[in-house]
Formats: sequence, structure tokens, C-alpha cells
Amino acid sequence: MSINSYNPFFEAQKQFDRAADKLDLDQATRELLRNPLHEHHFLIPVKLDDGSVKVFKGYRIQHNDARGPVEGGLRFHPQETVDAVRALSMWMTWKTAVADLPLGGGKGGVICDPHNLSDTEQERLCRGWVRQVYKIIGPNVDIPAPDIMTNAQHMLWMLDEYEVISGNRAPGAFTGKPVGMGGSLGREEATGYGVIIAVREALKELNIRPSDTIASLQGFGRVAQYAFELYNQMGGKVICVSTWDHSDQKSYAYKKEAGIDLIELRSITDKFGGIMKQKAIDLGYEVLDGAAWLEQEVDILIPAAIENQITIDNVESISSRVKILAEGANGPTTPDASEIIENRNIFLIPDFLASAGGVICSYFEQVQSNMNYYWEKDEVLSKLDIKMTSAYIAVSDFARDNDLCMRDAAYVISVDRVANACHDRGWV
Amino acid sequence: MSDNEPLDKIIVELRERAKELNCLYEIQELLNRTSVINTEVWEGIIKSIPPGFQFPDICVVKVIAFSNSFQSKNFKETKWVLKSDIFVQDEMVGTILVYYIDERPMADEGPFLKEERRLIDNIAERIGLQILHQQLKSIFEEHQKSDQRKDWWAVLDMLKQTDPKLLVRLSRKMVNYLCWTGVSEANGLLERFSPLVKSEGGKLFSEINKPYQRQVGVNMIELSYEIFEVAGKHIEEKKILDSIQRWTKEDKSDFLTEVMEDSGSTLASISSAIERYHHLIPNMLELTASRERSIKVALIRRILTDQSDFIDVAKHVVEVDSFTDLLHRIIYPTNSHGQLGGKSSGLFLAKQILSASAKEYDFFNKIKTPVTWYVTSDALLNFMTYNNLEEIVEQKYKEIGKVRQEYPYVLQVFKNSSFSPEIVKGLLMALEDFGDVPLVVRSSSLLEDRIGAVFAGKYKSLFIANKGTKEERLVELMDAIAEVYASIFGPDPIIYRLHNNLLDYREEMGILIQEVVGTKVGPYFFPSFAGVAFSRNEYRWSPRILPEDGLVRLVPGLGTRAVDRLSNDYPILLSPGKPGLRVNVTIDEVVKYSPKFIDVINLESGSFETIEIDSLLKRYGKDYPAISRVVSVLKENHIQPARPLGINFSNSSFVVNFEGLVKRTAFLNEIKDILSVLQKAYGNPVDIEFAHDGKDFYLLQCRSQSHGQRSEPAQLPENIEPDSVVFSANKFISNGTIKGITHIIYVDPVAYGELPNQQALLNIGIAVGQLNDLLSNDKFILMGPGRWGSRGDIKLGVSVTYSEINNTSMLIEIAKKSGDYVPDLSFGTHFFQDLVEADIKYLPLYPDDDTTIFNKEFFEHYENSLYSLLPEMKELGNVLKVFDLSKKNNVLNVYMNADKEIATAIIDKL
Repeated sequence: MSINSYNPFFEAQKQFDRAADKLDLDQATRELLRNPLHEHHFLIPVKLDDGSVKVFKGYRIQHNDARGPVEGGLRFHPQETVDAVRALSMWMTWKTAVADLPLGGGKGGVICDPHNLSDTEQERLCRGWVRQVYKIIGPNVDIPAPDIMTNAQHMLWMLDEYEVISGNRAPGAFTGKPVGMGGSLGREEATGYGVIIAVREALKELNIRPSDTIASLQGFGRVAQYAFELYNQMGGKVICVSTWDHSDQKSYAYKKEAGIDLIELRSITDKFGGIMKQKAIDLGYEVLDGAAWLEQEVDILIPAAIENQITIDNVESISSRVKILAEGANGPTTPDASEIIENRNIFLIPDFLASAGGVICSYFEQVQSNMNYYWEKDEVLSKLDIKMTSAYIAVSDFARDNDLCMRDAAYVISVDRVANACHDRGWV
Repeated sequence: MSDNEPLDKIIVELRERAKELNCLYEIQELLNRTSVINTEVWEGIIKSIPPGFQFPDICVVKVIAFSNSFQSKNFKETKWVLKSDIFVQDEMVGTILVYYIDERPMADEGPFLKEERRLIDNIAERIGLQILHQQLKSIFEEHQKSDQRKDWWAVLDMLKQTDPKLLVRLSRKMVNYLCWTGVSEANGLLERFSPLVKSEGGKLFSEINKPYQRQVGVNMIELSYEIFEVAGKHIEEKKILDSIQRWTKEDKSDFLTEVMEDSGSTLASISSAIERYHHLIPNMLELTASRERSIKVALIRRILTDQSDFIDVAKHVVEVDSFTDLLHRIIYPTNSHGQLGGKSSGLFLAKQILSASAKEYDFFNKIKTPVTWYVTSDALLNFMTYNNLEEIVEQKYKEIGKVRQEYPYVLQVFKNSSFSPEIVKGLLMALEDFGDVPLVVRSSSLLEDRIGAVFAGKYKSLFIANKGTKEERLVELMDAIAEVYASIFGPDPIIYRLHNNLLDYREEMGILIQEVVGTKVGPYFFPSFAGVAFSRNEYRWSPRILPEDGLVRLVPGLGTRAVDRLSNDYPILLSPGKPGLRVNVTIDEVVKYSPKFIDVINLESGSFETIEIDSLLKRYGKDYPAISRVVSVLKENHIQPARPLGINFSNSSFVVNFEGLVKRTAFLNEIKDILSVLQKAYGNPVDIEFAHDGKDFYLLQCRSQSHGQRSEPAQLPENIEPDSVVFSANKFISNGTIKGITHIIYVDPVAYGELPNQQALLNIGIAVGQLNDLLSNDKFILMGPGRWGSRGDIKLGVSVTYSEINNTSMLIEIAKKSGDYVPDLSFGTHFFQDLVEADIKYLPLYPDDDTTIFNKEFFEHYENSLYSLLPEMKELGNVLKVFDLSKKNNVLNVYMNADKEIATAIIDKL
């Protein structure tokens, strides 16, 4: 494979270099932050159901723990590469830093395709993974979380193995656990609510009352639904939601000029956020082409579906009324479209910041697990509000003070925080 | 239905017939219990007779046999009497007398019905036979004790007295036997028996125009004695006796052979012969293996199907007596020569195979089949003749547009036609037998057998609620049958027959009326789950799954959703040989590809409906049979097993994944055993349909494994020019032939791996999506590196969603070696179930494997049409290529044969 080919780790390093330049970081700090602090590569032999043994390759990469124990996902993927895991571990460092959590960033993986493994084999693989990394993880060192093709069940198998080896109960060693087994309430709401808390703060800055605004959403999954919920509670009105229609294999936008009733729309939605078209028509929704969500005369746009939705081709269709674009999905706006949006003075809340609710709640799960005392949902959500608000204000202030766009500000402030921690510890 | 026979009257008559039959069965039971008719048996007979009569309360019986007489308790003689004599070998040995002790309205014979006359005659005949059997037995036994020589002489003497005709037939057999064993004296005796042998050689054939005269004047009895005289010299005494015994028993089954061998005998006569056989077998009749085999084959051919493959399998497992129950549930026109057809025969056969293996597999005893009635294939013709619809047969020769246009009319005509009285009578009996359970009316076509079951799903199956008054239920049933009949003349089957050169075959279709397996839940009726199972898995989602691991398509509710491919929903796919390897493993996949709808019968509206599972569970979850085996509880980021207790149906979320069934029951193991036993008996892969009501497993259908039209193992062409092969493969091959491919969309694996950034990689996916739309009217295939549909690290495969590839005919993943490493392929897992439902073929290629072909010359140098199709994407041209074969008047044909594990793609002339 040629050296020119796309490498996610090189991309992540380039992005870091730009921030480092802005912060004028010294060479040692750059070297330290451009690469992971620890990399663990190991083999996991697993007995398959038929008695044969298959050896899997596993990783745990801890990019930086200057601010606190490492936190980050653990993925099962058949063609995982070390460089992809390195890039993602670095991302986690910035993600925990932007939310100002006392955590570092890491990532792990096993090269495997769970489609070729039975449940019992996956369980043995999970336990095997823990046996290999037991010494370098733990509630005060490194806390793995679910990621691609892993879920709460995998975390519980791993936690159990970890606790068997350590001879203790240590629920804070893993996150993403089910409620009642060390999980936190409010996890479902966290990301969607976080998006709206950021929107609320942005509106404050723009001196607009939420109840005077209307919004259009792309997607109607978990993030979009909870964003909708909190936005409604703040007095805002959603008039358009677009979702993917699985049977027609295309997306549609559902519109009600007078405002969509969330409870009504949820009642005709499947578990995937798919809206039943015929029922929507029966309920008087206007059914438009999927792209119509972006063209609405609204104050707020929230793309909360998938990446690359706002591109150079459709960015011009955004109405002049739009004041805020909050990225509820990962990378919904392409870089060139992003530039046009900024030039039009639309206030863009970058995914990095807008979706911080998820990682904040994951942190809360650790805290509760470590105390072995679990908060009511209200408490989780009010703490989320405080954390999210201060994260937002810090980024926003930083952007204003340094004349940066929100996207750059969010990134730079994270690097700054991590660099300072390394410095204060006397590492560099 | 016929006007002059009101429904109520028919029902009353049917009840009478049932009573008479019961009476007959009871008496037969009594006779079978013992070989000697003693006082107890006589008294039993006397008690059993009155319930068979119209007025049992005033019915008394007297039997006189030899010098004894027996009578009912309150017996008195009156003038209302029915009398039948008991004969043994033409000698009267007794009498049965049935009296009514009170006056009743006059009927056919005094107050008695003509059927009652038949009943009493029948009873008398059976008693006579039993007495004869008793006599013969005691003679044999007595003589066995004394001198052997006297033995068979005594038998001959007795036969001479009682049944001289039988004596002659026996001696005829003996003389044949002697001739075969080379006893020369016998030849002379044979000549006296038969003029044919006497007239010798050339003469026989030269006078072929002249009928041969049977010799007259020979004293056959004398001749018989002479023959046994000779036999006595050459054969041991015991052997003679054994032979006489055997031939005598065999002689009793002659009636069966005669009926079966006469191609003109009707189903009615076969039915009564089998009935008679059934009552004789316990101890009065014995068949030689060869005779039994020949009767079996004849029965299978006449009643089930004449397909030789089927007969080959069936003759080894089916018993003559197993037809008895079947025949009780066949509805046929008078003088019927019809058959039951493929579906009905398949189920019958499978049931026999499984019961034959029940010793080895205990649970086979628990497998049930729903109550089923059959309408023979010639009832269709009977229906059409009865309503003067013969000209509709011409429908199939009309232009297809016309067929389509006229079909609604045909349907209306059929639905407004009536059935002949004998069929109506049969249907009423069926309804009486079923009670008011929901029914399914299915076609069982003879044509299906002829060509190997590819007709699957072409003809209608209709569900009926079967609720209401008897008249309403009858009308509904007849309506459904008429509709299934009409479906023969629908455009789809006709197009199919046209394409497969089957138009000229006469279409005969049997009908299966089957009780629907299920329970009532709220206003609905459905089974807990149902599905289809294949002994050979042609859809492997993991390289660890072998074809012989099998495949199950499982759905909640009626099995219709498992049988048909679905466009907006998915069945659960399981491999019984590898139950742990599931198609969907992440929670998102599990939820997305789980069934969302369920087919049910709505008992209130009487209609077949598809409803949402979620709303069904919210209201009636508690009543759903074995629900904890069907669903799991969906929590955030977690799926928990459902337990029979403590499920909150109104507040919880559920996902149908059959986890409870797979993990907490032996279901998959049992399916595996069923499939393997059936496959072994058939000598071929099989598929079955089944349903489960939460308590019992019901087998609904079985046949040789069918292939979709496009999924039969390909016949690889011979004499292929090496240059014309574009690629070949020899691992993980499924079955199918895809012809006439005009375009190949090819993503070069090496060039794709070298793309400089994420956006460039994404653009390939976007361009493929656009080509998918542009070429939606062409036949194209997609070829690309690694894993189609990758997310995140899309360097491993082109990032597309299912909607961006849904028009392709095939999805090909190329595992190009990089260094020493051959990447794992996805086996289409990102949208495996979408591919299955849309019948898009998947094929993995290993171009670095020396045993396969990957035509580099073609892929590198064929003209790239991307530039003309998508000029705005021209910068992708070194990675994304579109080969338009039609430009050179060529097409690509892909041949895949899973049995031989080989696939080849060949360029051919258009």
C-alpha cells in the first residue's frame, strides 16, 4: 500500500499539528501528544465451540492520561488497523478535555468479526482480552467502554473477569453497563439533551428567547428525539423532521407548520427512528423529500443522523432565517460547506462540543460506580446541564477571545488543557 | 350447491352414516380381539348393533349361530324386523335379526333404511369370515399334531368340500412351482391346465389372429389331486403345508390386487378395498413381501402421485394400511381417478418416514400434523364441467396481456360457480370433522411434481376463519377452493409455464384443506411461531457455516412470512448445525433485522391480516403462547432474555429473536434431526414447513429442496474459451445462474487502497450509488475490495448503504492479498438479510489463489464507461470502472454451483 494512501492516524496528527501551531507548543510537548503514551499489542487464544483454538490480535492504546485515568471504547472489528485505533485514542483525549472531565483518552480493539463467533466464543474472547490487559486497566487507570460491535453484554463479561482476577467488586472499571448492573440513568437522554443545552447557551449569547424559535431536525433516532424533547420543554417548536424510510429506501421529511407533537410522532416511529409514512399522512403531516429538512424557514437546524449531510452542493439551500446549526451527528458538515456556513454568519456548534453529553454521562457512570451510589435521573441530568454549560461557555469564550471559529476553538482548548496538564506534572 | 337437498337433511344423513360406521368398527374390534367367537363376543355384538340404527332405543337384536342363540335383554319379536343370514363357504350357519319394538315411520325396508340393510349384511359377512378363519385354524392345528402326511390331504379334502375354486387355484400355483423347480412330471400336468403351453413354439405365434380356446372337460378337482400327488413325491410335507397356508392367505388379498391392477378402478372402489383390507389384516390376511410391495406402489401411484422419484422413496416407508386413514379424508367426484398432488403427498410421506424412525428419535412421536382433508385433482375438472367452464382451459394459450386483463373475470366466474353434490357432501363431512377452527386451503398441483416444485408460491393459499353457521362456513370454504382453482389461470403461473415449456401439460390440481395450527389471542388466531427449514444452507453468512448445517427461516405467527420473501420485513435466520453463529450480532443489527410484523387470522372480521408485533404485544402479550421463547427484552444497549413471568408488556420494548427457543429448548437440534432423517430417506436435500402452537411441533409440508427460479445449481457450460472467462471462484459458492449481465461496476482493490483521504474513499461510495440509479434498468453486477458497506474505517471496503446497491444482481467481494495477508470478507453481513430477501447473489473472489481465474487483462484494459455515464466523477476513473459489455454486443453470464463449489463468469454473445 502506498504511503500516500489515506491513514486516519496521519490525519489526526495533522489536525493536532495545526492546533499546536496556534498554541505555539514546544517540540517535546508536540512529540508527546502526537503519539500515544502506551501501546499494548497482544494475542488472545480462544477455544472455539468445536474445540479448535483461534488466536486473535488485540490492542489497548492509551494516548494520554495527564488529566486523569484513560477512558475510551473497545471495538471488535475484522479489519481494524493499529493506526485507526491510535487516531481514535487521540480523539478521546481531546473529547474528554473539551468537556473538561478529569480523564485521558484511549481506545482498544480486537481484530475479529463477531458474525463468525457464537455468544459463548465472544464471551471467552472478552475474558481473554481482560486477562491480557488486567494489569494496565482499572477504575483508576483505564476504563474501557462499548464501541463498534461491542455492547453492555461484552462489558459485563469483561467486568466479571476483571473482578474475578482482582478479587474485588470494581464496577467503575468499565462503563456502558446496563442500569441496575452499574449503569447510570440518563444515558439515553444525555447526548440529545447536551445538544440542546449548547443551543440554549448559544441563543442566550444571541439574545433570542428559545420560545421565539422554530427548528428543523434531520434524523429521529435517540439523539434527535431527546433533543426534540428538551427543546420543546424550553418552549421551542420543531416543524420538520426527516428520517430514512427503510421500505422505500429513501428519506422523507415530515412537516407540520404549526409544530410537531413529539408524543404523536413517537407513536408512529419504530425503534430505529423510522417514521411510518402512511400513518404520518393520516395524521396530517406534509410528506416532503428528505432533503427538505435543510431548506426550512427556521432558526435552528440540527443534523442528528449521519455524516456528510451538508455539503457544498446543498449548503446554499439553507434559509436566511437560520441562526444556529448544532451538529448532533458525527461530521454532518463537510469542511467546505462548514466554511460557507461560517461566512454566512450562521452560528455553528461543532459535533465535538455538541455531542459531549455522551462522554459526560459516561464519566458520571464511573463516578457513581466508584462510589457504589447511584443518582436519580434528575440528579444526573442536572449535573449534565452544569457540565455541558460550562464546557460550552469555555469554548465560546475561547473562540471570542482568540477570534477563532467554534470548531477550531473547541479543538484548540482541548489541546491546551492536555498540554498544560503535561506541563504541570513536570513531564515537559 | 344442489337445491333439492337441503343442508340440514344432508347433515342428518351424514350423522347416520357415521353411526353405522362406528357400529361396524366396534364389531370388527370385537372380532379382532379373539380368534374364537365365544359367548362374550356374541353378547358384545348384540350390544354394538343397536347404536348403529336410526332408533337405537327401541332396537333389539337376536343372533342364532349353529345351535346357540343370543339376544338383547329386553328382546321381543315384532313385525318390524331386518334379517341377514351368516354364511360360511356358501353354507348357512346362522342368522342376525334386528327388531324395532315400536312402530316407526316407513322407510326403505319397513321402518329401516337401505343403509341399515347394508350394515347388517356387512356384519353378517364379517362374522362368516371370522368363523371360516376359526375353522381353518382349528383344522390346521389339529392336523399338525397328528401324522404329517394326513395333514395336507385333510386340507385338500376340506377345501374340496368347502371351497373347490380355491383348491383349483392352489393346485395351479403348486404346478407352477413344480415346473419352476424342475419337476418334469409337472410339465404334463401344466399342459392339461393351460392350452397355451400345449400349442407350443412357432404355432403359438403363427396363429396369432385366432383366439385361444380354453380346454374344456378337464376335471379340475381330479387334476388338483394329481398335482398334489406329484408334489408329495418331490417336496417335503412341511413345505407343502406351508405353501398351502401361505397361498390361502395370499388368495384373500386378491381383491386388493385386482382393484389396484385395474387401471379403470375408481377411487371409490380402491377406498372400499383398502377398508376391507384394514379389517382383515390383524390375523386373517398376510401378504408376501413382493405382493405387498406391488400393492404399495400401485396405491402410491393411484392415490398420491405417479412421479417415479417419489414412488422410489415412498415404497420403502409407506405401509398399505397407512392409506386407511388417508382415504377417510379424501373428497372426490364419483368415478374419480384423481390424485392428491405434490404437497399432500409430501406431507403424507414425511409423516411415514418420521414415524418409521421414531425408535431412534424419541421426539418424532411428538411431532404432529394438522387434521387435513384432500380434494383429488380431478375435482377441478369435475367443477369446470359441472359449470360448463371448459373453455377457460384455453386461457393459457391467449396472449399474456389478455390473460392478465381477463383474470379478474375468470376469478369472478369461478367464485360464482357451484360444486357438484358429491363434492359438497364431502366438504360438509370435512367441516363436521374440523369443527370451527380456522382453515387454510392450499393448492397441491400435479404439475409441481413433474418439474421439481419450482411452482412454489405461484398458486394461492387462502386462510379462512371458518366461523358462523354451517351454511356460512360451507360457502366460505367453497369460495376459497374456487379462488384457488381460478389461480391456475392467473397470469403469473401462465407466464411461468410459458417460460418453462409446460403450457401443454394438462393442469390438474389437488386441494389441501388443513386445520390452521394456532391459538386464539384476543381477536386473533395464529401459531406461536412458524417457519421453513432447509437441510442444505445456500445462504451462508459466515465461512464457518457449512451447507449441511441447514437453514431455518423463522417468524412469529403464521408461516406465510417465512415462506415468501419479504420486502419490508425480515425473518430470523438460523443454522441448526451452528446455532451460535447468528446473522446479526450487534444490537442495532438484531433490532433492524428482526420481524416487525406478524401474519394472523382475525376471527372477528374473518380475514387474514398483517399486524405490528409491538402493538399486538402491548395488548395481548400475556396471552401470546410461549412468548418468552419468541422475544427478548430490549434495554438500552442491552438485550435480556424474556422469562415466562414478570414481563411488563405495556412498558417494555421487545425484539423478536427466538433467543429463548434457541438457548432454552432443543428446538434447533430437533429440526436438525428431522431434516437429516428426511434427507436420508429422500436421498436429496429437503425442505419442510412447520408451525408451533407453543406446545407442539406441527409438520405442515415436506418436499425435495426447492430452489428459487434463480437458485438452482448452475449447469456449467462445456468447451469454454479460456479468454472469455472473466473470473472464477471455488470457495463459499451459492447456487444460481445469472445471465445477460450487460454492465460490470468494478472498484479496483489496489487503486482503492491507495486513495489519499477519507473524502476520496467516500466519493467512491457516492459514485457507486449514482451508478446504481443510472443502471437501474440494466442488469449489472458490483465488484469491489473487502467489505461492501463498511462504516468507520472505510478503507476496508466501499462505504455504501443497501439503497445504494439495491439494483445490482450480484455483490462480489474481492479478497486481494496485501503482503502475506488475505483480508477477511464480510460475506455481505452488512446487509446480508437485505440481499437474501431481494435475491441478490453474493460471491467472494480470491484473485491470488492460483486455482481460480481473475482476468487481469480484462479488468485493466476494457473500456471504462464511467467517463460517459458520470462525467462529473471522471477523476475517479482509475479506481472506479464501468464495463459496458453491450457495446461489443456481449453479455456476461455467471454460473454458480454450490454442490460442486465452483463459479465461473463467462462473456458470451448477446
